[in-house]
Amino acid sequence: MSLQEKYLTLLELANANGTSYELSEGDGVLHVNGSAPSEEAKAELWAEYERLDPEYRAGDLILNITTGAGDAGGGANTYTVESGDSLSKIGSQYGIPWKAIWDANRDILKDPDKIYPGQELKIP
Amino acid sequence: MKVKVFTVLTLACALFMMACGKSDADLQKAAMDKLTAEKVTGVTVAVKDGVATLSGEVADATVKGKAEAAVKSVEGIKSVDVAKLTTKPLPTPPPPSPDKMIEGTVNEAIKKLGLTGANITVTVSGGVITLTGDVAKADLTKVMQAANEAKGNATKVENKLTVK
Repeated sequence: MSLQEKYLTLLELANANGTSYELSEGDGVLHVNGSAPSEEAKAELWAEYERLDPEYRAGDLILNITTGAGDAGGGANTYTVESGDSLSKIGSQYGIPWKAIWDANRDILKDPDKIYPGQELKIP
Repeated sequence: MKVKVFTVLTLACALFMMACGKSDADLQKAAMDKLTAEKVTGVTVAVKDGVATLSGEVADATVKGKAEAAVKSVEGIKSVDVAKLTTKPLPTPPPPSPDKMIEGTVNEAIKKLGLTGANITVTVSGGVITLTGDVAKADLTKVMQAANEAKGNATKVENKLTVK
């Protein structure tokens, strides 16, 4: 049985509830990248995924569904500064130099040594 | 005697009806019309003795199912063979971002969930995200969503979390 057939009811539900999606497949994993019209529609899809694979153990599906609201920021990757953070510490968590974060956030940062808890930094 | 005549008449009538039933050509046209109405394209239908054989290539398994159901619903079609109806080969996903970048992204997404008492470790190797540790049953879907939606084109999500 192909992965598409395994997750057929999930894909049919996406068609029915107005979620647009694109499929790709690699290394035995089906990737469903899509956009749902609402959080409810997305929740329905996840409920169906959980019904087909309780506790999500099979590892043969990547269900990446965004909703209009959740992706309003253009899907930017951000990090929220915590107390005790520094640019180099944050950089090491992502495997990138601190200067890359500094360059990406010149608009909100004035000094690389001064970042404050709660600030949303763009991760390039 | 009367009964016999009646039986013969009934049989003759039945035969007549069969002969006058829809021809394969009619059924083929009805099936194609039905597919058009359902906005299914790229499917060819052949009908022989009321058995429809579908062939062609469709976008995915949902379209295949839709095509099969549509043709089956045509009155006079006895069965539908979809063995020759294939689904388009899927493209391969884009290559994943560096492991460390995916790891940081997933960690941040899980942190943003604000789970209390969760103890989740994220490791990424070759684009494969592995989740280990403990999670409350009610939080599992949220954690899986965070991992599945992480930017960076992860190739797989291995859930090895212990569900409490």
